[in-house]
Amino acid sequence: METNPEGKRSLLGWLEARVNLTEIASFLSVFGLLPAELDSRKPLRAALREAMSQPLPSYARWPRVLGILSFLLFIFLVLTGTMLAFYYQPTAEQAYPSVTLIARDVAFGTLIHQVHYWSAVLFLLFLGMRVIRFFFQGLYARGREIVWMVAVLTFVAAALADLTGRLLPYDASGYWTTVRAREVTDALPILGPITSFLVGGVGLDSMVLTRYYVLHIAIFPILLLMLFYFHFSSVRRVGMSRLDVAPANRSLRVAMYDLLLLVIFMVGGLMTLAVLFPQPFDAMANPLHTPPDSRPPWYLLAPLALMEALSFLPKFVRGLIPEVVLAVVLFLPFLDRESGSGARRRLFRILGIALLVIWGALSWIGWFLEVRR
Amino acid sequence: MSGERHRQFFAGFALAVAVAVVTIPGTPDLARAQAPGAKPEEAVAPSRVVPSGAKPAKGSAMCGVCHSDIRVKYEKGIHKSEGVPCTSCHGGNAGALTVEGAHRDGFRGKPARRSIPALCASCHADVARMRFYNLPSDQYALYQLSHHGMKLAKGDESVAVCTDCHGVHEIRKPDDPKSHVFGRNIPATCGKCHGDPDFRKRHGLKEDPVKDYEEGVHGKAYLSGEDPSAPECTRCHGSHGATPPGVGDVERVCGQCHLKTRNYFIASPHKAAMDAAGQPECAACHNSHKTLALPPEKFAASCLECHDKGDKAYNVALTLSRMKDDASSEIAKADKAVAEAAAIPLYVDDYRSRLQDARTALLEAAPVTHSLDSTLVEPHTRRARSIAAKVSEEVHAKVSSRWWHKVGLGLFWFYLLVTAAIIARTRRRAAGQSR
Repeated sequence: METNPEGKRSLLGWLEARVNLTEIASFLSVFGLLPAELDSRKPLRAALREAMSQPLPSYARWPRVLGILSFLLFIFLVLTGTMLAFYYQPTAEQAYPSVTLIARDVAFGTLIHQVHYWSAVLFLLFLGMRVIRFFFQGLYARGREIVWMVAVLTFVAAALADLTGRLLPYDASGYWTTVRAREVTDALPILGPITSFLVGGVGLDSMVLTRYYVLHIAIFPILLLMLFYFHFSSVRRVGMSRLDVAPANRSLRVAMYDLLLLVIFMVGGLMTLAVLFPQPFDAMANPLHTPPDSRPPWYLLAPLALMEALSFLPKFVRGLIPEVVLAVVLFLPFLDRESGSGARRRLFRILGIALLVIWGALSWIGWFLEVRR
Repeated sequence: MSGERHRQFFAGFALAVAVAVVTIPGTPDLARAQAPGAKPEEAVAPSRVVPSGAKPAKGSAMCGVCHSDIRVKYEKGIHKSEGVPCTSCHGGNAGALTVEGAHRDGFRGKPARRSIPALCASCHADVARMRFYNLPSDQYALYQLSHHGMKLAKGDESVAVCTDCHGVHEIRKPDDPKSHVFGRNIPATCGKCHGDPDFRKRHGLKEDPVKDYEEGVHGKAYLSGEDPSAPECTRCHGSHGATPPGVGDVERVCGQCHLKTRNYFIASPHKAAMDAAGQPECAACHNSHKTLALPPEKFAASCLECHDKGDKAYNVALTLSRMKDDASSEIAKADKAVAEAAAIPLYVDDYRSRLQDARTALLEAAPVTHSLDSTLVEPHTRRARSIAAKVSEEVHAKVSSRWWHKVGLGLFWFYLLVTAAIIARTRRRAAGQSR
């Protein structure tokens, strides 16, 4: 055993002499779990001591908590998803039996399955709420453009991960939700051909299922991880939050305890949802039998309603509307460059409220489109 | 050189045809020799392909030149593929080169309607000739006994003759789905006359048997393809010997398929009572063409058509009805429980197959009900009820044993809260230090 600078022999000191531990620890900080930069030239203890006393805004408080909650849920999704992947078989013949095996026979399989399901629901919900919060608190002003665009793109990537995940159990509701969702995405003029190309087939057979599987467990999670990295990287440059909204009045040490508490309550919440409100297990998909209430997922209901309602317009134009709206939302920081609360900012605020109301109304119409028929 | 080779080929082909022509007429001799009791002097002319009277290989040759529309139909039919020529029905000379020449030599033209059954029978009633096609030869005899045949004999030409059901020139085999007498097409074929409002008005018939059939259980099961063993018109009425079953015969007709039901019915007090009252047994409750299975809610109502409310017979009906209701509601309850368990998901395959047993037992109760003896019905309904009740009980036990999950959740929360309390305490200290 080596002696540390204080003269005591320790494992940490032994390791420190052989590996740059600070560099490994700073890897965590790159992904925001340690929201401070570590000086990798110093030994770990010294670097941590220095970082821990830095003042921080209390990001574990509502509504700033949405971001870190989403990231924690992402980690949860990766963990539970990995466990599910140990048993899941991505072929049309074996998918449903293997999911049945997980949910029925594997110890704690149904719990893991339900936690994965509820994590996905909350993940998408929190990311959506986060974008709305950023908008109404003006957190896309000059300097924070990347933060805003990454937030929007994260929501889109999470929605795509959700969309590809729905097919995997190959049960009736998942299968037909995917069919309905593809009717919407294939009708979009520019993104449609891209998604069709990625998915690689018209039907939903084993070949397409494998594509969905790879997209769900590799492509979209890696994309999400990259977006999270971008976010944390940008936040370290421009600050955790706007200091007038959230003053930096806590040390990192306290913030880390807050994070631990957050994890504990999130685990409790997910377990409660999984045990008390389990998602019912559906019958196996039958490609020849459409259940009467099959709809696309909630985030595609509005585009569906739009396409159905504006049937007098050519399909290309109808599909272009949601894409233009998405582009406007994505490039909002460059359209609304005014800081403070000028007339232009107020106009954008009203437009944003109108967009939310229209989105809600269209989703409502899209939900009942099927019932009316 | 190549011309020479072609000539050789044609010579060989002609030889092969000649061999075939010589060999084909030989085959029936062989078959006839094997037929028991066939005497040589009674045997028909030694031709299998061409009926007697027609000239071999010339029977249809030139007719199609003028009658091309008929030829198109004829060529789709079985008579073309089996080599029965135009002249065998119409007479005349198919080899003639002029219209006058063709319409000579016993030319019949369009056969008179009342002569059609006999004309068809000239071949189809001939046992020796039909044997090679494995066809029956009693159709003409049956037809003469049928209502169609008897009316035709009295001079009523509005009745069906052979061609009305089988087609005229385009006669297809009954197993050809395009044939008018193919199973699924039979209701429509009979319906050409019996479903026609004018026809029914002429004959004083109020009901539309074809429409009724389509609405009844038999029609629904058969026409949808759900049950190919369900009857079409001819299974009850006969085809060539078509005759409506009279009062007193209904139970025999229905009993051909519903054998158990018939036996229980004959043994029941209903048989004698219905015969005395002149009621058409099965049809009295189940209708004739619009055959209906009696659902529990209509069960008692149909009894009230003859019996008074409150009398002994009506009470028997209520008892039987209640026994079936109890069993089917118990099965419905178990079905619901199993569906809930499947959504968790739990293993339910075993429960599903046991419920299938319960359904079978309930189905077995249906024929026995016709005995009107509740002691005979009870074992079946009891079996159905007890299986379903046991399944419900086991499924509920299995589902409710999951209360443990909630206890587990409570314990987990206890652990989480203790941990959270410890962390919160440490955090408070850290916050105090940093200040």
